[in-house]
Amino acid sequence: MKNKRFAIVLDTDRCIDCKACTVACKAENNVPLGPDNYRNWVVTGKLRGKYPNLGQSYLPSQCQHCSNAPCEHVCPTKATTINPDGIVHVDDAKCIGCKYCQTACPYNARYYNEETEAIDKCTFCTQRIYAVPSQLPACVETCPTKVRAFGDLNDPESEVSLLLARNPSKVLKPALGTNPHLFYLD
Amino acid sequence: MSSLKSKHISRRRFLGLSSCALTAAVVGSQVTVLKALAKNGDVSHTTTLPTQDVLTSCGMCVNKCGVIARVRDGVIHKLDPNPEFFVKSRAMLCARGNAGTKVVYDPDRLKYPLIRVGERGEGKWRRASWEEALDLVAKNMQDIAEKYNRAAVMFASTEGTYSEHFFIQLAECFGSPNTVRHPTLCLSSNIQGFGATFGTNPTPDVLNADYIIMSGANRAEALMTPDSIDLLTGEGGRRKLIYLDPRFTKTSAKADEWYPIKPGTDMAFILAMINVIITEGLYDDDFLEAQAVGFDKLVPHIQQYTPEWAETECEIPAKHIRRIAHEFANAAPKAVYYQGRRSSFFANDTQMRRAMAILNAIVGSWDTKGGMIPNDCIKLTKHDYLAPYYDDVPYRLDNDAVAFLSEKDGSWPIFRDRALAADPYPIKGMLVYKQNVLVSVPDRAKSLKLMEQMDFICTIDITMSDTAWYSDVVLPEATYLERLDPLECLGGAVPVVAFRQPCIEAMFESKPNLWIMQQLAKRLGDEIYESFDFTMEEHIHHQVKANPQILEDLKTKGVYYEYTEPKYGKLKGQRLKTKSGKIELYSERYAEKGLDPLPVYSSPEQVPSNKYRLLVGRHAFFTHGTTANNAYLHDIMPENTLWLNPVEASRMNLRNGQMVKVKSPVGEERLKLEVTEKIRPDSVYMAHGFGVLSKGLSNIHGKGGSDAALIESKYCPISGNSAMHETFVEISPA
Repeated sequence: MKNKRFAIVLDTDRCIDCKACTVACKAENNVPLGPDNYRNWVVTGKLRGKYPNLGQSYLPSQCQHCSNAPCEHVCPTKATTINPDGIVHVDDAKCIGCKYCQTACPYNARYYNEETEAIDKCTFCTQRIYAVPSQLPACVETCPTKVRAFGDLNDPESEVSLLLARNPSKVLKPALGTNPHLFYLD
Repeated sequence: MSSLKSKHISRRRFLGLSSCALTAAVVGSQVTVLKALAKNGDVSHTTTLPTQDVLTSCGMCVNKCGVIARVRDGVIHKLDPNPEFFVKSRAMLCARGNAGTKVVYDPDRLKYPLIRVGERGEGKWRRASWEEALDLVAKNMQDIAEKYNRAAVMFASTEGTYSEHFFIQLAECFGSPNTVRHPTLCLSSNIQGFGATFGTNPTPDVLNADYIIMSGANRAEALMTPDSIDLLTGEGGRRKLIYLDPRFTKTSAKADEWYPIKPGTDMAFILAMINVIITEGLYDDDFLEAQAVGFDKLVPHIQQYTPEWAETECEIPAKHIRRIAHEFANAAPKAVYYQGRRSSFFANDTQMRRAMAILNAIVGSWDTKGGMIPNDCIKLTKHDYLAPYYDDVPYRLDNDAVAFLSEKDGSWPIFRDRALAADPYPIKGMLVYKQNVLVSVPDRAKSLKLMEQMDFICTIDITMSDTAWYSDVVLPEATYLERLDPLECLGGAVPVVAFRQPCIEAMFESKPNLWIMQQLAKRLGDEIYESFDFTMEEHIHHQVKANPQILEDLKTKGVYYEYTEPKYGKLKGQRLKTKSGKIELYSERYAEKGLDPLPVYSSPEQVPSNKYRLLVGRHAFFTHGTTANNAYLHDIMPENTLWLNPVEASRMNLRNGQMVKVKSPVGEERLKLEVTEKIRPDSVYMAHGFGVLSKGLSNIHGKGGSDAALIESKYCPISGNSAMHETFVEISPA
């Protein structure tokens, strides 16, 4: 059987910047309290224009699960690896907390977890997606307006495959060649 | 003992386990395993506490979304949305819903009954037994009843916890007519305005409407289910959203058109739309003929309200008002002027809501797909009780103060004024159930005076709210994740029955509201206790007596519903709950009461020079004044700021981020300035829930400013609703 290749597709037009995803993730993954500790986030976009002609966008994001991941390349202890299912994984036991990966990540997706004494970041909620019965990642499931869709890109019938087949999309910072697996619908 | 850190226990997990150990010690089960855990901090043992998924409903706000609590080894690990709850909550949980675990495992939680030992507000307490605390509360209630009258004890209650009914029941059985609740700080003018027109406050069919106009109903931040979700996900592509708000909110960001309307002039905009629709014959003639009364009187009345006139009032160009009126009428009946929920902005609010209702009516947006839908509810058998009869109990204190006063809700601003004047009789005792009076009711100084004049105050809550902080006895309630609550129908276009059952045993010495009420009732006398002599299980079984399937579904799915799509046309041919039985464009009842039978516009007071209008408003992270201290939510929003337009900031020589003094006729607060284009130059805004007095709220004490300390207590003379946008403030560097 072919490996899975997990991805998230986001429709940011629906995002209302309510931060449900951030809190759900913190609760699900025991992310320590503190405004600087998070595995996912929503960027409240800069206000466009001048009063009264204003606009604003909201950009939810997290680890991009790149298949050419700078964090993996720089890790001196091979604590960061890419699983066969595409999930970029940090082995807490191997992590020495040098934070090289944290600075290498172009998406600022990593933080140092004082409690586990290791670098931490989005895992697509591995513990949920491989549970029996399986659950969606916490951020995907909880979202009021269902901004995110999660699934297997190697399955052409999955929601993510269909969304990408039917809609134009983009990735963040494509010029870096990181090959991210978070896709944003145009 | 090895350090906790070396064992890699997260803070959260440690708190959960250690608190659980306390609970178990209290309830006397699983003691051995947990004591061992608490001693050496080792979590590698498997505990024998339950691991299960519990179906329940959220209690962070009034929406009561469906929740699956993932309980692992006796600790609530995570709250997930219940997909079966799709019909109402659209299978989601917001940031607050997800932060629920931090309500239970909150170091600031009230853990046992407290009795004040210092001065009120000094924060000196001693731990008391339930026995002692309850005896003290009951004795004070009886003493006050003896010395003055039973009516001298007021009961201030929150709403939407499922459990407040028992608190109101205690008031009634004790013999006090003086219950004061949330609606006059919220939507009573809305209920009144729409009720006078349609006989009900209907639900806009947001999912199916093609055209939606919102006036200050900030649905992308003030989350209401299912409206907030449907607004973004419904027939999104085809729908148009027009949004009027003096602030650029997240709803503005999602709207097709945003107009920073001059505060207090929404009615001018609405009346001008009615004018265009009538003058150009765009109304639904057949619909009005069959279902409404008073159109003949509306036509001449509306002539004066032209778009050109409205432009001078609301600062929205006449050509846009005219175009929007055309588009609205063209989209009708799949068009709604969305009434929102919170409506306590101006003293003319009820008439403004009347205008909204009339606008919806004239285009036939009623009881039809994409329009205003009359609410439906699922019938539960009522719990009847016989309150003892007392022959010397007067009318409620604020009786007859406004044209239409809700008997059980009262009007907060009026009630407080009369209580302060002992007019017509004194109020000397105060029982509070989870209402945070000092944060929710405008003019905090006045509320503090009210509390000062009390002989006795008891507050039931889960944390040391400001109101609890100024009380004499504080009783810890079990949180929503620890209680079995009565069933409740969440009415609406698609009604559901929601369910709340305990996910874990109540921690510390906290107790559910019903237990507290029963214990007080016992102490107040057999006659009172008689109506409380039941268990919650019995109460619930009684509620489903006529339809046991409700409970079956609740146990297996966590929700009960009878249909999943709104029923359209269900009131066709039926009498509405208005005087004429029809939609009342012209209100005979208002005429009889000497009120304007058709909405008459009057301009809001102009902003005095060098002052700003203080605006209030919601965001998606907090519920009123109750959740700002939650650890997860505090991470998102640690304090509030005062929004000021850059033009004014530069004129006043004020910098972004600097501390400023905000002064109103009733108070003065200090908070950080946020210079932002997101607000009109004549207004300032601050979020609710900060500037607290209680040191028992450790995350937020000393942060930001309190809006309640600044807002004057003006009100709507028809509904008694607080008018929260009629306060002007001065700003200066702090």
